[in-house]
Amino acid sequence: MDELKNIAPELSKLKKEVPFSTPEGYFDDFSARLQMRIEAEKQTVAPRKTRFLQIFKPALGLAASFALIFLLVYVPLKTFMPDQENTVAVVTDSVDPNLMNVIEHLDESSFFTMLDDDNTNSEFTDDELTMYVSANFNDYEIYENLDIH
Amino acid sequence: MSDSDQKIIADLKDANKRDLAFHVLVRTYQERLYWHIRKMVMNHDDADDILQNTFMKVWRSIDTFREESSLFTWLYRIATNESITFLNSKKKKSLIPLSEENEYLMENLMSDPYFEGEAIQLKLQQAILRLPEKQRIVFNMKYFEELKYEDMAQILDTSVGALKASYHHAAKKVEEYIKSSD
Repeated sequence: MDELKNIAPELSKLKKEVPFSTPEGYFDDFSARLQMRIEAEKQTVAPRKTRFLQIFKPALGLAASFALIFLLVYVPLKTFMPDQENTVAVVTDSVDPNLMNVIEHLDESSFFTMLDDDNTNSEFTDDELTMYVSANFNDYEIYENLDIH
Repeated sequence: MSDSDQKIIADLKDANKRDLAFHVLVRTYQERLYWHIRKMVMNHDDADDILQNTFMKVWRSIDTFREESSLFTWLYRIATNESITFLNSKKKKSLIPLSEENEYLMENLMSDPYFEGEAIQLKLQQAILRLPEKQRIVFNMKYFEELKYEDMAQILDTSVGALKASYHHAAKKVEEYIKSSD
């Protein structure tokens, strides 16, 4: 108070009255109104959880069923069936890549010259020949050549 | 912390006694918090909304209260922050420039049917509304509510020295306004 007298003598003379009022019975009702709001919040929080579960429960059940079926079918198949894709890959990989490179870049006339040349010590096997034909000709060209000869 | 506050806190943390303890807390602090908020926002309806929001926040976060500060300063802190947040959102929604904030609060005061002060009280409120926000809060807490600087420092998260300086400047400005408009 002395502090205020020194800083603001006029202000310190004023009555410290709050010039506001409230509606009649405001503080008597406030606690009850607040309690109603709390109860409303308690009720909205609880059903929101159950509503979420109600919506997603069938979907979650369906997803779990699919996962179970997948595991029951896929795991035994994977475990007991032979791996066919790998076998094919092994066969393909067994062809010499250098030979493939030579065959693919060989033009048609050079290829037939090599075939006709009896002196040439040809190392072509039937498989290599098949590989060359399938790599450089389509079905139409193969059949066309067959008709001519 | 007073014994009654300690009992309220202990009961609030007990699920069986929680509702009753919260009722006691509201009855104990509703008036003090209401007037603290009302002096910041001026209007009764706004003060009512903020007071409800304050207690709802207390209800939701009672488990996080660490008892490092007193119950009373914790409640004041929440009420102060809620009031500031409310004023800021009101400013944004109404696109009120910072310089016109005081005029907005003055309109709020004049249009409130529950303002019933005399001419000198109206003048005092006008002087207070001309203060910057922080000085206004400090002035109200010290002049009307007569809080200790130590408690105010906890509520406003600032130093006692800064609060003393703020109050000093605020009181000087209010004094000048009252003298000049006589």
